[in-house]
Amino acid sequence: MTQIKLPMTTPSTQQLLQTMQDASEHLSINDRRDFLRRGVSYVAGAAAVGGATIASATGLSSNLPPNEPIWSRQLGTGVVENPYGLPSRHEAQVVRRTVPWLTAESISSISMSPIQDLKGIITPNGLVFERYHAGVPDINPDEHRLMIHGLVDNPLIFTMDDLMRFPSVSEIKFLECPANGGMEWRGPQMEALQFTHGMLSCCEWTGVPLKVLLDAAGVQTEGKWILAEGADGAHMSRSIPMEKILDDTLVVYAQNGEMLRPEQGYPLRLLNPGWEGNTSIKWLRRIEVGDQPWHHREETSKYTDLMADGRARRFTFVQECNSVITTPCPENPILRKGFIEVEGLAWTGRGTIKGVDVSFDGGVSWHPAKLKGLVLDKALTRFSFSTHWQGEPWLIQSRAYDETGYVQPTLAQLREQRGVNSIYHKNSIHTWQVGPTGEVKNVQIT
Amino acid sequence: MFRSPKSTFALVLFACLAPGVSYAQDYQIGTAATAVEITGWDIDIRPDGKGLPAGSGNAVNGEETYETYCASCHGVFGEGEGRWPVLTGGEGTLSDDRPVKTVGSYWPYASTLFDYIRRAMPFNAPMSLNDQQVYDITAYVLYMNDIIEEDFELSQDNLAQVEMPNQDGFYVDNRPDVSNPRCMTDCADPDSMMMQSSLAGVTPIGHFIEGADAPAASHSGQDELEASKEAERKAAITGEEVVAPVAKEATAMSAAAMVGEATYKAACGVCHTSGLAGAPKVGDADAWSERIQQGTDLLIIHALEGYAGSEGYMPAKGGRADLSDEAVTNAVLFMVESQQ
Repeated sequence: MTQIKLPMTTPSTQQLLQTMQDASEHLSINDRRDFLRRGVSYVAGAAAVGGATIASATGLSSNLPPNEPIWSRQLGTGVVENPYGLPSRHEAQVVRRTVPWLTAESISSISMSPIQDLKGIITPNGLVFERYHAGVPDINPDEHRLMIHGLVDNPLIFTMDDLMRFPSVSEIKFLECPANGGMEWRGPQMEALQFTHGMLSCCEWTGVPLKVLLDAAGVQTEGKWILAEGADGAHMSRSIPMEKILDDTLVVYAQNGEMLRPEQGYPLRLLNPGWEGNTSIKWLRRIEVGDQPWHHREETSKYTDLMADGRARRFTFVQECNSVITTPCPENPILRKGFIEVEGLAWTGRGTIKGVDVSFDGGVSWHPAKLKGLVLDKALTRFSFSTHWQGEPWLIQSRAYDETGYVQPTLAQLREQRGVNSIYHKNSIHTWQVGPTGEVKNVQIT
Repeated sequence: MFRSPKSTFALVLFACLAPGVSYAQDYQIGTAATAVEITGWDIDIRPDGKGLPAGSGNAVNGEETYETYCASCHGVFGEGEGRWPVLTGGEGTLSDDRPVKTVGSYWPYASTLFDYIRRAMPFNAPMSLNDQQVYDITAYVLYMNDIIEEDFELSQDNLAQVEMPNQDGFYVDNRPDVSNPRCMTDCADPDSMMMQSSLAGVTPIGHFIEGADAPAASHSGQDELEASKEAERKAAITGEEVVAPVAKEATAMSAAAMVGEATYKAACGVCHTSGLAGAPKVGDADAWSERIQQGTDLLIIHALEGYAGSEGYMPAKGGRADLSDEAVTNAVLFMVESQQ
């Protein structure tokens, strides 16, 4: 390898920045974001040596006061430039991600929502986590049908037009995969909130209560369970007890104001609020009423919780009370000393969140946080705790409790009851370690 | 305006008409499903055998069908290829540290096997097998798990009577199973708290590995260990000989280099793990060999004072003026010794 030797000089800030910018063009979005974020402080550090600051460095200041920015000195793009609008190009790093080594095949896999970047409680439709068992089918809604049969007086078939004639309801509910966090029963290994808790989303769903449709078919008295089945290649199926349907099960065709995304079951899905996501069968095509459960593959081989004694729980439907801090988190390190609003999300499948406590010392002492905005039944609930950080180490945790009085448990408590092989329903208190330079690591306290 | 007699009359009239307009719950929406339509879609099977089609099959015929449609993913012996589901073995492992959940060791009902093969398999061509093929494959998978005899004729009439080894291994959800009091102060003893940082390769079991539950979960930190365990596990099923993987010998690092690792991670890794700005990547032997030939001392000088080459820039101390010369030197030693 020959190398042209240049006179040894320390590069100027501008040269360095340009080099880093050029180099980052080849990186994946995630790497690039991380690189640029760290690169800026890197350059700032180098510049500070020469007595300069970023804002005053040549080439960086033309869009900053007192200068008139470039975008204010020209015209922008017109209407319907993007008939279906897109986020700013500067938000390109806010995307769903997967853990490639998890799965054999992306067709039967999962992706996580970037909850570290989201605000409020609603997940935008393009960022709702994905879980497929045989990929996303491309369904023509004109040829999609919902069949209701079994222990009913009048077996029925509905078109999409039929279903949309029923009086509709719209409800904000979270959706969570029961395997959320399930990679960390034995220890922490995911250095990102998106991977520790991202199998979680929350939308406003619009559709018809399933009990209205079942009433139309006339359920016979022996009808105690339903089988819900999808129109995907997996013909994904789950048994659901009638009590849930009488309570709050919906058949939905819209999310956040528009028709369901294909990834979310277009044109029709079941929604069992507060229950493990896989029971909310997507691409719903059939409901059979029966007098007992079916014990299909996704409720025996999968989605059963193996305990330490070798026996397994089944029909573990409810997503128990859970919470996690989203600021700070590994993707959102603390950037500077001083004021910080610690924020996070809490949710429970048993109703509403009553409160959230936060700890900065690994769970020795706790402080009540404030619930922000809407606090709704079986919806994500945002919490906040305003404080100051002066570079001290934090072991920061959140602990939610719900209207039933259930308090989010510690990992030690869950392990004691269940061992480490149950995969699903790990809702334990999560710990982030904040280091002296504001970086955040995933750790577990026992 | 509302006091005028005319308006009052209008309101009364509206109130009288309103109930007759539409408050009916009898929507009359949808059409009757015909028996033919229902039969076409009603594919589900229950443990009591409800839903099974007429017919039968056996493992003798099932072997060839299985090898044609199933073995490419599930392995000739049901041992699972790559990360695809393991179908056989694992008996008695459910309370082990690494349980192996298969049809034989875990599934409670034989009906589930017929139902799932029919509704979802083969993975790339669901609903393509005829009932005869599904009976044959179901019988073969049960036979491979020593649940039925090879010549047993599995049928609509007897499938529900097949007893699965783990039939009684399940119970209905009994959560909440923990009770955490909402303690606010002195909730834990800081002196006895243990903290665990991220570990590579602790993935418990592969929920997303679609059935390859115990052994196949992979991670860079434990690839080797898993490869050897996987080889042993497969050998136990297939009777093949285990070839022990050759372990890579660990090279010793100097104390200074080991100290330098922390600095490397905190300051240098930004560029030197990904090769940014022309930085030689740690572990990239080609990029480092010539540099190392120039002498470690020169590399240290470049790291301390900065360097501009044809491929990129190395700012003095990587732009971290706050680092001591010793810390930078140790980090360089870490990078150099990582190549050896």
